[in-house]
Amino acid sequence: MDVELTEIVEALCQYAPFNELADDPQLYDMVKEIEIQYLRAGEWAIQPGVLNHTLFFIRSGAVETLGKEQKLIRRMNEGELFGSASLLRGGKFSQSMRAIEDSLLYRIPARWFLKLYEENDAFSDFFELDREVRLKVAMESQISSVSLLTCPVVSLLRRPPIGIDIDADIRMAAQMMADKKVSSLLIMEDNALVGILTDRDLRNRVVAAGLDYDTPVGKVMTRDPVVMDSGDYAAEAVLKMMEKNIHHIPIVKANHPIGVISTGDIVQTESHGSIYLISDIHKQTSIEGLQAISHKMTHTFTQLVLADANTQMIGNAMSHIGIAFVKRLLQLGEEKFGKPPVPYCFVALGSQAREEQTIKTDQDNALILSNLYDPKEHGDYFENLSQWVCQNLDACGYPLCTGDVMASNTLWRQPLEQWKKYFSDWIQDPKAEALLRLSIFFDLKGVYGEKHLAKELNKHIRQEAKQNPGFLTFMARNANQRKPPLGFFRQFVLDGEGKQSRTFNLKERGIAPIIDIVRVHALACGSDKLNTLERIEDIEAAGLLPDGRAKDLALALEMIGMVRIRSQKDQIEKEEAPTNQVNPAYLSSFEKRHLRDAFHIVARQQEFIKFRYAGKRS
Amino acid sequence: MFMRLIRTIKGNKPQPLQDWQAMFAQWAKDAPEGPLKRYYEAGTVALDTKLKDTPLLALDLETTGLNSKTDEIISLGSVPMDHRIVRCNGAQYWMAKPKGTLNAESVTIHEITHSELAEAPPLHRILNEILNTLSGKVVVVHCVSIEREFLLEAALNVYGFPLYFPVLDTMDIERLALSKTPWWKRIIARRPSLRLDACRQRYHLPRYKAHHALTDALSSAELLQAQISYHLDPEANISDYWL
Repeated sequence: MDVELTEIVEALCQYAPFNELADDPQLYDMVKEIEIQYLRAGEWAIQPGVLNHTLFFIRSGAVETLGKEQKLIRRMNEGELFGSASLLRGGKFSQSMRAIEDSLLYRIPARWFLKLYEENDAFSDFFELDREVRLKVAMESQISSVSLLTCPVVSLLRRPPIGIDIDADIRMAAQMMADKKVSSLLIMEDNALVGILTDRDLRNRVVAAGLDYDTPVGKVMTRDPVVMDSGDYAAEAVLKMMEKNIHHIPIVKANHPIGVISTGDIVQTESHGSIYLISDIHKQTSIEGLQAISHKMTHTFTQLVLADANTQMIGNAMSHIGIAFVKRLLQLGEEKFGKPPVPYCFVALGSQAREEQTIKTDQDNALILSNLYDPKEHGDYFENLSQWVCQNLDACGYPLCTGDVMASNTLWRQPLEQWKKYFSDWIQDPKAEALLRLSIFFDLKGVYGEKHLAKELNKHIRQEAKQNPGFLTFMARNANQRKPPLGFFRQFVLDGEGKQSRTFNLKERGIAPIIDIVRVHALACGSDKLNTLERIEDIEAAGLLPDGRAKDLALALEMIGMVRIRSQKDQIEKEEAPTNQVNPAYLSSFEKRHLRDAFHIVARQQEFIKFRYAGKRS
Repeated sequence: MFMRLIRTIKGNKPQPLQDWQAMFAQWAKDAPEGPLKRYYEAGTVALDTKLKDTPLLALDLETTGLNSKTDEIISLGSVPMDHRIVRCNGAQYWMAKPKGTLNAESVTIHEITHSELAEAPPLHRILNEILNTLSGKVVVVHCVSIEREFLLEAALNVYGFPLYFPVLDTMDIERLALSKTPWWKRIIARRPSLRLDACRQRYHLPRYKAHHALTDALSSAELLQAQISYHLDPEANISDYWL
């Protein structure tokens, strides 16, 4: 009678790479040689230093990989394989494996692994790929992708700098640019960089102004240009270009120019065009023009995803684009309603302030007015301006905030003194429920107008938070409101209602909890950063978390953020509206595995802040 | 720390330890010539063999009903193991054509069809092979009575002499393990189920489809491994645990 170990075959075929072998009679022969082993939590599957002859399949439970000195390398769950690396190296094992839950393991003899590895491409590809992904995770501190956006600027330089003496005239300069086919010239004085002259300058400051071509370049150049160090990242150059609306940045090494990078250099390889998008925004003179650009946003977003940009880069780009819309609308508004009667600062709140915006987010903003503000005299002006800006942001694809956290709401359009009073009240006398709605105000950044107003307010917030540790207890409790979707046996718990019954919300259950956790720590250590990754650096430097835990948070954020961004890209490509919901059935087993780990980190860190900021019990 | 399966009923003395080796020697003399006599002559493990050194065989039968006098074995599955490894390599599966007709109910339970069984050999033709598989092993089953009674009956029919074998009963082990729970917990808690699937869940073992003889044999094999790692002492004598 033919022996069919159906249970085992079916279990294996649920997972890669065995699903590829489902029709292969060899699989049935292999299954007949499997040995089954039960391990209680804490028992070794592969002990340190012992020769391994087995490929292990985790039928149920969870196993951890430990490196030298018992350092945790990886956690593995149901359906995952381990031992392959040592089999490819003749059984030698530098890592050890231990069950962390009661586990049932299938032991596949080495000769079967080697045979299939040799004969079946899908099978060997799986292990190659697996190794790459693991490597990527191992380099957890450098979440860098291969994107150009994260390489050093020096790698973008294509030629030595072209420079001219400050005494040369414009004609000579233009001639040299034409000869050398460059769009900018460095202006040198006594061998030092003193300025830059670009195509745009020749057009705007020379031709348009009708200047004599004998004029020395020193009169039309941009003096003391923005420069960057050769070790800086290309990503920072992109951001600087966006921020300052410039197209050329000289790169210096030990104060000496070694080249110039231009938007062209970046766009040539990264054709996402978000830089163009921003300069386009600044060129628009009508709402219709801005709206037309807003339709290109989804394209820019998918391009960035395709270009392998990480979530940090995409968050940056999307936020800067968002801020560009705000700035341009305020400029147009000031043209429409006249110059502001008193100084003010328009502030971005939440994800835009943290530079973590994704595609399609609500607008969250506010207005800080100078203390000279008099509601009777100036009230109408700012009411009109902010109404107009918020309505038009809505028209440009940034929907009105459902919680009415917008500059158009009188409550959030107040003089600096009143803002300080708000925060003092919230911090000195925290109320749990109210704080839940207010946490967004703790990520606050001035984007237009008198930015020192926002700076001063932020300083006030940090001081108040530091003097009122009880407040952190409330924030920590808030950060525990939204739990990651992990069930008892490390299964995903789905939201389970209506249309979204097979999905869970990555933002609500993963990203927002991490941001909340990090915000609490950041306030505790008085960090003045807004960006979550930058806050994590400050938290790590302040030693608030045990070794490595801060990096864990950054890794979890990147992991969950990446899944969200990819899924949104897929939704856009299917012409659906991008959401934060994801259906785990559509995730690859890699994504599932790492997502699970990420959620685990979130859950653990939520526990940690509960105790870290426990406060006095009443 | 480890449980000794000494069954003490209130007021009664503990049962004397069973010496299966001695009993096998006796049956080897009494049994008629043939496969069954050779089975007993091959012997079984000594009572002071350590659990960790004992060759085990997980076994499951599917039958047409629960009465060994009137119902028949229709399939058997077995898989060899020791205290920590189950070896699929030696797994075996037999179907046996019953003399009587199959009722619809048991067909749906076992998912074995009439035509599959119609092609299978009758039990007496495969019993010899089954004896070879059992030879020298302590048999692991969940709920000892079914396997024991049906195989005893089958041997009586075929050889005119009973078939006995030493057993580790995972259901019995589970019952004793659960009885270690403090009395007040037992009163509060609902009476725990001793069904194979329920027992497996207590050790976080995966859920299988029940009622395929080989899968069920595998199920009890894995359950025993889990029970050993939680409750039994691999260094203890097999006679502490066998029935």
